[in-house]
Amino acid sequence: MRFGGIDVGSLTAQAVILENGSILGYKSIRVKTNPVASAEAVMGELLAELALSPGELTFTVSTGYGREQVQDTGLSQANVSEITCHGVGAHWLMPEVRTVIDIGGQDAKVIRMSPSGELEDFVMNDKCAAGTGRFLEVMARTLGLSLEELGTVSRQARKRAALSSRCGIFCETEVLRFLQRGADRADIAAGVNRAMAERVAALVRRVGAEPEVTMSGGVAKNPGVKEELERILGLRIRHCPVDPQIVGALGAAVLAKRMGGGS
Amino acid sequence: MMIDLQTRASQIETEYVRKFKEEGGKVVGYACVATPVEILEAAGILPYRIKAFGHPDTSLGDSYLSRFNCRFCRSCLSLGLDGTYDFLDGLVETNGCDHLRGMFENWQYAKKLPYFHYLKVPHFFREDALEYFTEEISLWRESLSRHFGAPLEDAAIWRAVDEQEALQARLRELYALRMRKVPALSGAEALSVICTGSSMRTADFVSLLDGLLGDLSERKVEGFRARLMLLGSATDEVDLVADIEQQGGLVVTDALCYGSRSFWERKGESRDPDRFLAEKYLGNLFCPRMFTEYERRLQFILDRAEEAGVDGIVLVYNKFCDLHGVEAAALRVDLEKRGIPVLVLEKDYGSQSDTGRVKTRVQAFLERIGK
Amino acid sequence: MAKELTKPLEGLFNRVYDIFSIVDRLPDDMTDAEVEGVLHVLPTDLRRTMSAFLAPRLREASLEFLRLIKRWLEGARRAKEEGKKVVLVPFNFPPEVIYGFEGAWPITSEVLTTLGVAALEGQGERYWDFAMGLGLPDFACSANMIEVGSALTETDFAPDIVLNDCFASCDINSKTHEFLARYLGLPLVFLEKPPDDTPRGIRQYYRYFRAMLSDLEEILGEKLREERIREVLDRANRASEFYWELWDLHKFKPCPVPNAFSLMTYGIRYTMWGQEEAVSAMEKLVKIAKDRLSRKEYPAEREVARAWWTYTSYYFDMPGFFNWMEENGITHLGDGLDLVFPRIIPLDDMDSMVEGMAETARNMPMTRQMGASSMSAQWLEDIIWATRELDADCCIYCGHHSCKQTWSGAAVVRRELLARTGIPTLVLQGDAWIKRMTSMESLQEQIKEFVDNVVAKKREGRRPTRRKPASAAEAPAG
Repeated sequence: MRFGGIDVGSLTAQAVILENGSILGYKSIRVKTNPVASAEAVMGELLAELALSPGELTFTVSTGYGREQVQDTGLSQANVSEITCHGVGAHWLMPEVRTVIDIGGQDAKVIRMSPSGELEDFVMNDKCAAGTGRFLEVMARTLGLSLEELGTVSRQARKRAALSSRCGIFCETEVLRFLQRGADRADIAAGVNRAMAERVAALVRRVGAEPEVTMSGGVAKNPGVKEELERILGLRIRHCPVDPQIVGALGAAVLAKRMGGGS
Repeated sequence: MMIDLQTRASQIETEYVRKFKEEGGKVVGYACVATPVEILEAAGILPYRIKAFGHPDTSLGDSYLSRFNCRFCRSCLSLGLDGTYDFLDGLVETNGCDHLRGMFENWQYAKKLPYFHYLKVPHFFREDALEYFTEEISLWRESLSRHFGAPLEDAAIWRAVDEQEALQARLRELYALRMRKVPALSGAEALSVICTGSSMRTADFVSLLDGLLGDLSERKVEGFRARLMLLGSATDEVDLVADIEQQGGLVVTDALCYGSRSFWERKGESRDPDRFLAEKYLGNLFCPRMFTEYERRLQFILDRAEEAGVDGIVLVYNKFCDLHGVEAAALRVDLEKRGIPVLVLEKDYGSQSDTGRVKTRVQAFLERIGK
Repeated sequence: MAKELTKPLEGLFNRVYDIFSIVDRLPDDMTDAEVEGVLHVLPTDLRRTMSAFLAPRLREASLEFLRLIKRWLEGARRAKEEGKKVVLVPFNFPPEVIYGFEGAWPITSEVLTTLGVAALEGQGERYWDFAMGLGLPDFACSANMIEVGSALTETDFAPDIVLNDCFASCDINSKTHEFLARYLGLPLVFLEKPPDDTPRGIRQYYRYFRAMLSDLEEILGEKLREERIREVLDRANRASEFYWELWDLHKFKPCPVPNAFSLMTYGIRYTMWGQEEAVSAMEKLVKIAKDRLSRKEYPAEREVARAWWTYTSYYFDMPGFFNWMEENGITHLGDGLDLVFPRIIPLDDMDSMVEGMAETARNMPMTRQMGASSMSAQWLEDIIWATRELDADCCIYCGHHSCKQTWSGAAVVRRELLARTGIPTLVLQGDAWIKRMTSMESLQEQIKEFVDNVVAKKREGRRPTRRKPASAAEAPAG
C-alpha cells in the first residue's frame, strides 16, 4: 500500500509517497496561483515520476496553508495541521528527536514531541515576520544575495553587524543604513542570521529545547542561522537526513498510513 | 433571528442606535466592565460599550497612539476620530489599563466630546478603596445629572439595578444553553448576542433575550470534536471565535469581559445605591487589572470550566496587552497543572492576515489534546 | 524547561555584587595608566562601562558613586545575614521609607537591572531570556524583566518582600512584580495612587500610604520609630538640598554638570537616599560641577545643544550614550527619571514626617506623571517646567518599546510642547536596557541628525531675531 502526504506552504509545495515504511519518492515545487493547483501539480509530477496513478494511493493527508481546500477537492482524504505533521515527520525520521524547529516562509514553529511521537506542546511566532523565511528572503534581496549565499557568506564575517531582532521592518532599515555606510555584506549577512536566530531562540525557550533537537523547513538549509541558533541555545541541532523542506509532507504521509489502515 | 443578530453585531451604529437617537435619546460610550451602567440607565441614557469589531484600519489612531499600544484601542480610537462614533453624546473613561487610558485621553484631546467624565476605579478591593469608589460613583452621578439634566434619584438607580439583575439572569440562562451537552448556540453566536446587547438599553436587551431564549430552547449545534472555553482580554471579534469553531472546537463558555465576567457573579449588599454599585462592580471585577486577586480569578475560571465540562482552554490576548500577557503566563501553568490543556493565542487585533495562523494553532491544539 | 536551558546560572545580584567588590580596591587618585591597566583586564561589556565612568573628567565622581552602589549591595547582603528583610521596590518608591525600619533594606528592581546591563558580560540578556522562557510576554519591560527574570531563576540573592506602587502608573511593572511575588511565595505589599490630583485624590493616596506602612510594620514585626525616621529623613533632606543645588548648576552655559550625572543623581536617589552615603555622594557631584564651572570646562569645543530627555535614557552603552553626546557638544540636562522633586520634609512630629514621605512618594517619577489625572497633562507640565528652568532647546523621547503608558501620551506631549514652547522633540524607538533591539550606532545617527538639522537651525534662526531691535510694529501694545 502507498500513502501520500501533500504540504502546501506559502512559498513552496511538497509531496511525499510512502511505501512499505519507506520513502518511495518526494517532490518540491514553487507554489502555483492557489493551493489546489499547487497540490495537483506537485503530487501530479511525483506520481508521473514514479509512474503511478492517483488511484494507487490508499490514503492521502494534506497539510500546510491550503490543507482544507486540498481536502475539499478530493486530493486528500484528511487534513492535519502542519505543526503535527512536522513533529510526526521528524520523529519518524529520527525517533530520538523531541524538539523540532520548523521555519517556513510565513511562520516559525517549535514543536515538542513525546518519546512515543505524540504532539506534546508547540509554539508559533506571532504575526511579525522577523523570525520567518520571508524575512530572510527580504533581507537577502536587500543585500543583493541569493538565499543560499546569505546562509554561507556570513561565515566570512569579521565583525557581525548588530541588528534589531525585534522587528523585521526595523531591521530592514538598519540593513540599508549599514549598506549606505559601506559595511561589509558578509558582516551584515551574519547580523541578519543572528537576528533571525535570536527571534527563533525566543520561541524555543517557550517550549524548552528537549534534546534531540532538529530543524525542518526551508530555513534549515541556511547554515548561518543554524549555527547561530546552536550558539545561542548552547546545543547541537541534528542534521535532518532528508531535505528538511519535505518533513511536513512526510509527516502527512506517515499520518495517512495511520489513518488509512496502514498500521 | 441568530443571523439577524450576527449582522447587527458587526455594525457600530446599529439601526437600534439610530432610532434611539432619532427619538431624542442620548448615547454615552464606555469601554470597561468596571463601569456601573446602572447610572447611565437611570438617567435614561443608552450605555454604549465601545467596540471596533475587528476594524483593521488604525491609521488615524496611530497618529496618537504608537504601534506599541494595543491594536484594539488604536482601532477604537480610529473609529472615534473618523466620525464613526459621532453619534456619541459623551464618553466615560475608566482606568482599565494603560492602553485604554491612552485611547480615551487622545480621543478627548483630538475631538472634544460634549460630555466627558473620568471614573477612577481602584485596583484592589478593600474598605478604603470601596469608600473611594463609592464617592467616585456619587461624583459621576452628580456630573451626569448636571450635564444631561436628569434627576437621577435613588429610586431610578434601584430600578436600573433591578433591570441589570434581570439581564444577568437572562444571560446566565443563555450560557446554560451554551453549556448543554448538545449546545443550543455556538460561541460566535453567543458573542454576537452580547455585542448586540452592549449597544442597547437594558430593558430592550432583556426583551430581545426573552425571545431568543424561547427560540433556542430546542436548538442543537452538533458536529464538533471538542468543547472549549475562551479566556483573555476584551474580545469583540466574533470572526475570531468563528475561526476557532471552524476548526472543530466549540466555545461552550468563557471568562471574557464581553462574556461571563460581566454578569456572572455580580451583587452588592449595601442599601445606599452608590455604595451598592461600588460593591457590585469593584467586588466582582475578574480582571487582571485587580491587584492580589489572582487566586480568585483562577477559581472563577476553574468554576466556569468545570460547569461547562471543557476539554481545553484557549487563552487569547492582543499583542502588547500587559495585563493579560503576564496573567497568561501564570494561568497557563496553573491550569495545565490541574489537567486542563491550554492554548495561549497571542494575536494581533482585527488582522485578517492573522487568521491562518490562528486556525493552524487551534487545529494543532485540538490534535494535541487528541480531539 | 527554561531552567535547563539557562543553567548554569548565578543570579544578577550575585554577579553584580562580585564585580562591585573590586571598586573598593581602586585608589582615589588613579592615574590614566592605572585606569588603562584596570580596563585591560575587564571583560568587554564591563570594560565599556568602566571606560565611561573612569574617563578623566568623571573619575572622581564615578568612584564615589560606584562605592555608594557597592555599599548599597553590601547593605542588602549584610541585612540578610543579620536576619533583616530585604524589600524589593520599584524605582518610583522612595527607599528612605524602607530605611525607616530597623529590620529592612531596600533593593530596587530597575537599578539592579541597570547595574546588570552595565556590568555583566552579556548584559542582562540571559535573565530576559529566562523570563521569556517562562512564557512572560516579549513586550514586557526589560527594566523589570531582567531583575525579575534573575530572581525567578531562584538561584539569585532573593528579596523577602515585594513592594509595588506602580498600579495606575505602569501596568507591566505592577503585573511583573505581582507575578514574581506569587512565583516565589513572597509577601506582597502594595500602594496605589488614584489617578486623581484633586485634594480628595491626594487624601486618598495618603490614606493608602498609611495602610501600606501598617502592612510593612506587620510583616516586619516592627513599628516605625519616630527617632529613627527623623534621622533618616534628616539625611534625605540634606541630600535633597544638594539635589537642588546641582539642578541649579545645570542652568549655566555651557552646562558644567557632566552628562553622566543625570544617571548618577537618580542612581543615588533610588538606592541610598536617607543614608549618609547619599549625602556625601550628592555633595561630591555638586563640588565637581562647581569646580568645572569655575574652570569653564566643557568636554566639546562648544555646547551645540541642550537636550532634555522626556522620559528615560538608554542604559546599555554608557560611553556610547552619555559620553558620546557630551563629546559632541550635546548636553544631557536630565531625563524624566531625574524629576524626583525631592522636598525638604518637616521633621516636627510623626504625622508631618509620614505625610512628608507620602508626598515625596506621590511626586516620584512615573507616579507623578503617569499616575496623574491625565497621562499627558502633568508630564507635559513637568517637561515645560524643566526645559524652561534649564533653558533646553530640544527634547528627546527614548521611545522605550514596552513603555506603553508613556507612548500613550507621547504624541500629545510632543505636539503641545512644540505649540506652547517651540521646543522640538525627537522620537526614538528602542529598548533602553537591551542592546539587541536598536543599536547605539543607529540611535547616535538619529540624534546627530536631529541636532544638526533641527536644533542647530533653530538656534541659528533664533540669533538674528534676538539681535534685531524690536520694531514699532512688533513692539507689544501698551
